[in-house]
Amino acid sequence: MKSKIVYIFITVITLVLAACTKLKDDSYGQVISEKYNPKTEQEVSYLVNAAYVPWRETMLLWNGVVRAQELCADQDVLPARPNGWVDGGIYKRWHLHTWTTDDDSALQPWVRTYTGINTCNRLLSQIEEGIIIVNGDIKEGLVSELKVLRASYYYILVDLYGNVPIVTDFKDVSLPKQSARKEVFDFVVSEISQNIDKLSETARGYYYGRINKWGAYTLLAKMYLNAEVWTGTPRWTDCITACDKVIDFAGKTGEYALESNQKDVFRTANENSKEIIFALPFDEIYVTDWNAFDFHLYTLASESQQTYNFTNTPWGGVCVIPQFIGSFDPEDIRLKENFISGQQYKASGEILTRADNGKPFAYLKDVPSIDKSDITDGYRWGKFEYATGITNRLSNDWPMFRYADILMMKAEALLRSGQPGAGALISQVRQRAFKNNPGKATVTDDQLKGGSVYDYGRRDENRSTQEGGGDITYGRLLDELGWEFTQEGRRRQDMIRFGVFSSKSWFSHDATKNRNRDLYPIPNSARLTNSNLQQNPGY
Amino acid sequence: MMSKLRSGLAGLIRHLMCLITGLYLLAVQGYAQEKVNVSGKVLDEKGAAIIGATIIVKGSKGNGASTDESGRFTLPGLVPDAVLVVSYLGYQTREIPLKGRKSLSISLVEDSRLLEDVVIIGYGTQKKGDVTSSVASVRPENFAQGAIKDVGQLIQGKVAGLAVSNPSGDPTSTTQFRLRGTNTIGGANTAPLVLIDGVPGSINTVAPEDVESVDVLKDGSAAAIYGTRGTNGVIFVTTKKSKGGETNQVDYNGYMSTSRILKKPDLLNATEFAALYPNEDHGASTEWLDEIMRTPFTQVHNLSLRGGASSTNYIVNLNSNSSEGIMLKSANETFQGRTEVTHKMFDDKLQVKVGFLGKKNKFESTANSGSFSGYTYRQALLRNPTDPVKNADGSWYENLSKFEYENPVARLEESYGDVKNTEVRFNGGLTFNPVRDLTLSGVMSYVEQKRNHGYSETLNHASARRDGFAGWSSVGASARSESLVELTALYNKQINRHKMSFLGGYSYNGVDFEDMYFSNFGFQDDQFGGWHNIGIGSALKEGKADANSHKWTTNLIGFFGRATYSFDDRYLLMASLRYEGASQLWGTDNEWGAFPAVSLGWRITREPFMKDQNVLDDLKLRIGYGVTGSQPVNGFLGVAMLKYDKFAYVNGKWVQTIVPASNPNPDLKWEEKKETNIGLDFSLLKNRLSGSIDAYNRNVDGLLYEYSVPVPPNLYNKTWANGGTMQNRGIEVLLSGVPVTAKNFDWHTNVTFSTNSNKLKSLDGSVFKTQFDYFNTGWLAEPVKTESHRVQAGERIGNFWGFKVVDIDENGKWIYEGADGTRIAYNDFSRAPEEKQIIGNGLPKWYAGWNNNFRYKNFDLAITMRGAFGFQIINEARMYYENAKNSRMENRLKSVNDPVFGKTTLSKDIDPEFNSYYVEDGDYWKVDNILLGYTFNKLGKHIKSLRLYTSVLNALVITGYKGVDPEVNAEALNPGYDNRDQYPSIRSFTFGAGIKF
Repeated sequence: MKSKIVYIFITVITLVLAACTKLKDDSYGQVISEKYNPKTEQEVSYLVNAAYVPWRETMLLWNGVVRAQELCADQDVLPARPNGWVDGGIYKRWHLHTWTTDDDSALQPWVRTYTGINTCNRLLSQIEEGIIIVNGDIKEGLVSELKVLRASYYYILVDLYGNVPIVTDFKDVSLPKQSARKEVFDFVVSEISQNIDKLSETARGYYYGRINKWGAYTLLAKMYLNAEVWTGTPRWTDCITACDKVIDFAGKTGEYALESNQKDVFRTANENSKEIIFALPFDEIYVTDWNAFDFHLYTLASESQQTYNFTNTPWGGVCVIPQFIGSFDPEDIRLKENFISGQQYKASGEILTRADNGKPFAYLKDVPSIDKSDITDGYRWGKFEYATGITNRLSNDWPMFRYADILMMKAEALLRSGQPGAGALISQVRQRAFKNNPGKATVTDDQLKGGSVYDYGRRDENRSTQEGGGDITYGRLLDELGWEFTQEGRRRQDMIRFGVFSSKSWFSHDATKNRNRDLYPIPNSARLTNSNLQQNPGY
Repeated sequence: MMSKLRSGLAGLIRHLMCLITGLYLLAVQGYAQEKVNVSGKVLDEKGAAIIGATIIVKGSKGNGASTDESGRFTLPGLVPDAVLVVSYLGYQTREIPLKGRKSLSISLVEDSRLLEDVVIIGYGTQKKGDVTSSVASVRPENFAQGAIKDVGQLIQGKVAGLAVSNPSGDPTSTTQFRLRGTNTIGGANTAPLVLIDGVPGSINTVAPEDVESVDVLKDGSAAAIYGTRGTNGVIFVTTKKSKGGETNQVDYNGYMSTSRILKKPDLLNATEFAALYPNEDHGASTEWLDEIMRTPFTQVHNLSLRGGASSTNYIVNLNSNSSEGIMLKSANETFQGRTEVTHKMFDDKLQVKVGFLGKKNKFESTANSGSFSGYTYRQALLRNPTDPVKNADGSWYENLSKFEYENPVARLEESYGDVKNTEVRFNGGLTFNPVRDLTLSGVMSYVEQKRNHGYSETLNHASARRDGFAGWSSVGASARSESLVELTALYNKQINRHKMSFLGGYSYNGVDFEDMYFSNFGFQDDQFGGWHNIGIGSALKEGKADANSHKWTTNLIGFFGRATYSFDDRYLLMASLRYEGASQLWGTDNEWGAFPAVSLGWRITREPFMKDQNVLDDLKLRIGYGVTGSQPVNGFLGVAMLKYDKFAYVNGKWVQTIVPASNPNPDLKWEEKKETNIGLDFSLLKNRLSGSIDAYNRNVDGLLYEYSVPVPPNLYNKTWANGGTMQNRGIEVLLSGVPVTAKNFDWHTNVTFSTNSNKLKSLDGSVFKTQFDYFNTGWLAEPVKTESHRVQAGERIGNFWGFKVVDIDENGKWIYEGADGTRIAYNDFSRAPEEKQIIGNGLPKWYAGWNNNFRYKNFDLAITMRGAFGFQIINEARMYYENAKNSRMENRLKSVNDPVFGKTTLSKDIDPEFNSYYVEDGDYWKVDNILLGYTFNKLGKHIKSLRLYTSVLNALVITGYKGVDPEVNAEALNPGYDNRDQYPSIRSFTFGAGIKF
């Protein structure tokens, strides 16, 4: 009996030990890479399209490029609100150009663009190694597309940070070395130029939201437009050539054109707009980051929830600098359509009232200062349509590049290179803005060469100075860019090109006279992880 | 330890109760015997007089005497066959039948039972005298009593080095534990391993009323036998047992309790608010906190039945706990039954143990999948006191277009749901002694935990009225099962003065978890929909609601061995090794890790040169070194994994993209904690004073954390890796004493004291390199929106990182001290991250506890006190509710009118921010538990004893801290953060009874 029990006991132990030394390797919801072998074109597209996702995040996620381009510029400000918006002073520092190397404003665009670059590098490497199997005929196009896509992320980096590492080899695990701004510029231009002919010419359909040949030309035009600032050498002719490629294609096929109403570019369902050349698609259901695209929540006051029946209470937020509003022609349709102003109404049509005192709720033009504002102070962003009943995210696609920009880039290049024709191009874009008074749509080359009507100067409740914009070379063209492209995440780039970013004052911002602030600093945390990175001058 | 003796004595007396009573009755009723005067002397083994020994005449009430300075006593008027019970602390109690003698010389033998006391160590027990590492035990007589939430509260303040805190008054919350400081920044094991009779569980697995004792393995040399799970120490919870051959016994314990908020935040009332904000006066006068609070009623009943014969024993324990919280609709109801049967067979060579625990828990839910929402409490604090609760027509008074502003009463009344937990634990064990000295055992257990939750908001809730989430509801369930198999073989041998033991074993621990969750809204009404019919809302159909499920499995496999050796009970040695593999490390190059430990003990009092001293009863020096570890929380970090990521728009359709899941790190390995412990156990003056002192030094190497890395070349800017090193050092002191012991009065006291100093030595490790020497953590929500803590190399964990204010100017604006030490005016201060500095630390530098048990005749009184010192608290409530700008026009604390730094009130232009003005010293001393009881022995024929008691928990708090309770969260990397939404702490009052049948 005794021995039998010992025997059973030992047997049990032996069996258990043999069977139970295996560590669990069952993964649920994720797949071990080695076990996943994509083959079909569809499967490949699941992998490849991941490279586009960082673009929308680069622009629009919290403290993304839209803020990096707008909150430091002369159109928009995010003042302290009753709801908050102090956030350790980050928005104020943006406005005053006193951001620091630790600020989120410097960090987020860096992190997100390099995520995009890295994804492109990974996919290129996987395609090359055959880990991702792509058929020969589409392989070349796909590789080119990924290379230009990668270059497009560098476009953001060369603009915001200038001197950044160029990384193209996914397998190289050494710490990346920094390149000078000009080298980055040359890299982008050369990548686009070398690959552009292999890109698809299809305007929409499969290529909606992707880099096609026309998106690539627009990007190239952007590079040349800013070449003088970024490299010291102007490239106006190259800019015109690139724009003409798109204009010719648009003329021949009708695939791209100006919308007859500017507002139609920014509708909730804008994915069929012919004006859009490169879109970043959004959808309130499928794009699930909380702050994916939330202009409505971060510009409007809480009360406005009742106007649009949002499923979330807005906590706005950002508003328009009164001086910018003052620069508009009162008959400009864009003044009415791109901003939310005046008395607000509930969805039912009743008058909207303030939550605190029950008085009628109206967005007013004036704002006391960056440090102080009432819930109703300042006109609000209204360029993108806010659909009734939407969630915390908009479904409007983001027009990263649009046809009006092609026309205006060409106009600027013509004007700056002393060639005629800018006025006609700008007038073309202005027509839809002055439908009620078509005479006002026309602007001449000479007018464009004149000064800005923006009434620059420090202008808040604490201090008021008069600087004006009359002295700005091509100031009127800068105004035109401002009126057309407000809220599109680019004002800083335009202001730098016209030399006013550091030379003028507006609202609570005093002119810094410091060109070093034309570049954001290399984020401190990036330098802490990569000792090769030198800080930009002046930080 | 003294109390242990006392309980032993009590046990002895109880066992003899019948006999005594019988004899007594016989004596008084029977024959009128001749009375004699008895005198005598009480001596110790060496013949020295024992002063203060107690002599009681058995069966008499109060008839007794104490010995004088020469050890003498006299007792008049005894019957010749009386029996004397002679006792003295630290000595074995003797019963001396008079047998007609009138003069006695009684010698008492020193009671070595204290040292013979058995202490639980990993996979076995050891005599206390043989223990070579730091082990603490808490016995029932030292347990806190009253409305005890869980086992943690039983032993709060009683184990030096074990910080138990209870920061929440929510009846569904549990206590928090930290042993010897914070030892990891990202490892899986953050809390001590809790073993319920050897099977992993949690601190609230068994009802506190069902606990027999709690033992704590503190140092690494003791815990290393548990490998990774033991890295933060091991807490053994031993449930009540039936003892062999015991007569059947039935115990009932029950109590009723009520509680109140520990300290009510002092908010402006309607009049004061209207005076400050006349434009916001809405006419009513509402004490919003009172509107959501109540006087709760809690009742707990515990019934245990124990019995058996010499071969079979059983215990059945039933426990019902119905607790109400101070907030409306916050409660917790648990019913559990536990049974354990042990049976000996084959000439007692085989012992079979079968245990079962079933538990059903349910609580009301006014928060999504939780109990009570902190947001509701927040709304009660900040709501305008001139707002009425309801409109004249009976509907809720709301003002929903105001940002983040909801009627808290409506939030409670317009939401409903519940959370149900069920748990079933089976465990079985076989212990087999095939030959003398050899013990083979197998333990198997299976635990199944299920949770179901459902929650709905009505169409009248703010979510529907404001956000269009009509009838927002959620429903979910989870199931977790854990199985454990442990096989051990133990060989004990004693050859003359050589004692040795060898243990070998195998352990398999597997966990399987799965859950699912749905939310929905767009219900047409409140009658047909809600969480019990989740599918009928419209949002799921439109893709606007959530549906998700998860599953994961892990296992942990260990082989272990341990040897002990002692010579002459004088030189003691213990060495152990555990070789362990964790599934979380599967695919790395280091799946398995080895965790060795060694400890030595020297019982100095057994040395010949100590023979002649008689001050020290026992003195033992211990020294130990042990390695334990922690695996990462998540699995598959060593290999390249793919996951579904975000959607991309392809050809008119949104498709799920597939991307790498993380930066694979095949070098990932165990985080290792190497601990040295030096300790001294002592007892002196015949055990009147005893205690232990321990000093430890913990070095944690290869800290697991998600470190920042550059992108590119990495895929993601965070990688799980083994980085830097951290050190924890400290001293722990436990002193137990019996200042007074007399016939009618005893005073037992013990003091615990512990220090902890923590230092993150580096984030840069030998395997993983980083330039980062810090990262920020913790979060203060909007409108402040900033990280609150910084973890930095060279500093302690728990540092607050914010702006330092040193003064206020005449306009009521802060004057800061910049990072360079200069004073900076408010308007000149950049508020940039670079201006932040260390402005406090949330981890207490030292803890103390002082526990007292008094007995006067049949009364017993216990007063336990404890405190934590040398730390600061971020008073978030003040940061928000003392801000004078109050741009949202919400209610404020009365202190909003107080001058800052005694100078002037804060300017109305100043936005709320995180600065040092809201950092307060958290030092506190709590009179934690006051307990007064009275015991009736032998009531009537059936009742063996009846004890009635009343107690107060959290009775008195002495602190300079202005918030509700200075006992705030001390866990994770943001200790000392007093969340403004925290369910407030409570003070509870209890009346209870214990009956033994």
